[in-house]
Amino acid sequence: MASLYPAADGHHDDGKPAFFRRWFYSTNHKDIGTMYLWFGMLSGLIGGGLSFMMRLELGEPGIQFFTNYHTYNVFVSMHGLIMIFFMVMPALIGGFGNWFVPLMIGAPDMAFPRMNNLSFWLLPVALVLLMTSFFVPGAGADNGFGGGWVMYPPLSTTGHSGPAFDLIIMGLLAAGFSSIFGAINFITTILNMRAPGMTMHKMPLFAWSVLVTAFLLLLALPVLAAALFMLFFDRNAGTGFFNPAMGGDPEMFQHLFWFFGHPEVYIMILPAFGIISHVVSTFSRKPIFGYLGMAYAMVSIGVVGFVVWAHHMYTVGMDVDLKLYFMVATLVIAVPTGIKIFSWLATMWGGSITFAIPMLWAIAFIFLFVIGGVTGVVLAMPAVDVVLHDTYYVVAHFHYVLSMGAVFGIFCGFYYWFGKIFGVMYNKVLAHIHFWLFFIGVNLIFFPQHFLGLNGMPRRYVDYPVEFTFFNQLSTFGALVTLAGTAAFFIMLIEAFIIRRPAEDNYWGEGATTLEWTLPSPPPYHQFNTLPRIK
Amino acid sequence: MTDAQNKADQQSRNISRTIGILAVVTFAMLGLGFASKPLYDTFCRVTGYGGTTRVADTNENLVSDRVIEVRFDSNVTNGLPWTFKPNQLSMDVQVGANNLTFYKVTNLANYPVIATSNYNLTPIKAAPYFSKLECFCFTEQRLEPGESAELPVVFFIDNQILDDPRLDDIKTVTLSYTFFPVDEKA
Repeated sequence: MASLYPAADGHHDDGKPAFFRRWFYSTNHKDIGTMYLWFGMLSGLIGGGLSFMMRLELGEPGIQFFTNYHTYNVFVSMHGLIMIFFMVMPALIGGFGNWFVPLMIGAPDMAFPRMNNLSFWLLPVALVLLMTSFFVPGAGADNGFGGGWVMYPPLSTTGHSGPAFDLIIMGLLAAGFSSIFGAINFITTILNMRAPGMTMHKMPLFAWSVLVTAFLLLLALPVLAAALFMLFFDRNAGTGFFNPAMGGDPEMFQHLFWFFGHPEVYIMILPAFGIISHVVSTFSRKPIFGYLGMAYAMVSIGVVGFVVWAHHMYTVGMDVDLKLYFMVATLVIAVPTGIKIFSWLATMWGGSITFAIPMLWAIAFIFLFVIGGVTGVVLAMPAVDVVLHDTYYVVAHFHYVLSMGAVFGIFCGFYYWFGKIFGVMYNKVLAHIHFWLFFIGVNLIFFPQHFLGLNGMPRRYVDYPVEFTFFNQLSTFGALVTLAGTAAFFIMLIEAFIIRRPAEDNYWGEGATTLEWTLPSPPPYHQFNTLPRIK
Repeated sequence: MTDAQNKADQQSRNISRTIGILAVVTFAMLGLGFASKPLYDTFCRVTGYGGTTRVADTNENLVSDRVIEVRFDSNVTNGLPWTFKPNQLSMDVQVGANNLTFYKVTNLANYPVIATSNYNLTPIKAAPYFSKLECFCFTEQRLEPGESAELPVVFFIDNQILDDPRLDDIKTVTLSYTFFPVDEKA
């Protein structure tokens, strides 16, 4: 298809610099987005590898591999940090956000291309700092930091006297500032650089989702930075922010952490919501049901997400009235989330549905996210949470919304835009194998963990009593299936890049209506030299 | 100037304004993160949240008939070579009346030690009505090697507790202290 926009055809020199300048000095939103995606994939392999080791260890009662128990806790902590800060966030926000927000709103690039470069290149630095912490002393003579991704003091202050945790603080500060710069970039781009006629209420839902996410990042991450600075001072400068002996309060760290941490979970899921909306609409060949409701549901999830944080802390000895407030506020979030779920279903209703690969991921996302959401409502009850707190029930809950919510959203977007990003199409059979192995695998891992949790198996232990053997074996078997699924994913990638089936401009047909489908696949190095006009 | 240039200028002005606002928001949130320490402290002192008892200069309450048992608890953190015990484990207190009790503390070390205590009242909801006129926890305590001291607490339970129906079920409250060494370096 010939492009509607003459300058977008790339008939003149497209001005791609040579390799080093193109990637290392990159200011191009598409190149930076691609780097974010590869970076997320690499971190996903590292983080996934750590969790696979944990599952192998838990395959049988007794100690299999982790003769040093501290190392197991290090694996748990690093799995969480790497998956959150270096896999989900770079892939969803940095990767798809950079690639498609400018394309969808009809902008030539991001507002601050150089800051975009800084945002990306802070991340490898941060990851190197985190990986280094594995190999330097953490607690006593043991290497690495084993205090969990939540980093509660006093375990993270007096409990880990070695430099490992200082490296993690540095790394997380670097990753945090990377995200803050990225958030500023996205907000500025979306508010100021929409094509003529693209009003806020005509903007595609993925751009909306990234806008809300960017605001959450901007408000939440500085608070994490402050908490990390205070931890650093407590450890190295003799202050006592979180030390009761000096008038501090360790509980305050938990408040600060979860004031960041709860919005963080929406930061990880909202861009996936945006992707799912486009995919469901494309493959139902219908506009999304209740567009405005969908956009403002995300806004209200973002707003309410800031006032529910203490539901992570029901067991610290909170006042009953306070628990009541946090319970009710948490339950309120189920309302806008329900609006989103039912609007997706209503979009599919009566639509002309094709079960293409991205649609499979989207339907699986909706199904599994609802399961994770329902267990979330269960955990929102303080009385129930006191029993289930820090058990495998919690692990199952947040992996259903993250490992199956956010990650399924990533794969959904990846298959949806694969041809657009790389200009080549994937093999459908391999993609099917990847989807089904992955779908069965992750469900086998995490569904039995609900039962483990209900039976009282606590999180973060290297061993368990023999009563828990069966469900743990099932879970570890699921990890093997997931590993096979991951292998299928990489075989699919390699096959696609060897065969190089060229992708058409709009390979999904009439259902795909956003601006990126008016451009060639892959889009020219610089697009929209003449801005598109939206009627 | 052409129309297009005008538009481009307008856009770059808008972009500068947006990033200015966003930078202010970022620093405000960072500052708020640090400010949470004094805010948290002040909030607890003012509202009595989290079991923070009140400090009073005078007691102008009428003595009422309601009696509440006050239990005394004492703790010493690891590594502080002190013993710390209440002289009586509990006392029945009339709401509104002034009360005096003592804790006994001994330095077992052969060097002088300075320590300070923090405090807490449970049930947490009763803390806003528990006021201290005088307490050893207001200041640091220094004990010479082997020295013992009797540390006083003067307190009363505020009459307003009678007006709060949420507290009608309160028959016992526990006042707890924990001694921590004062680090000279800090």
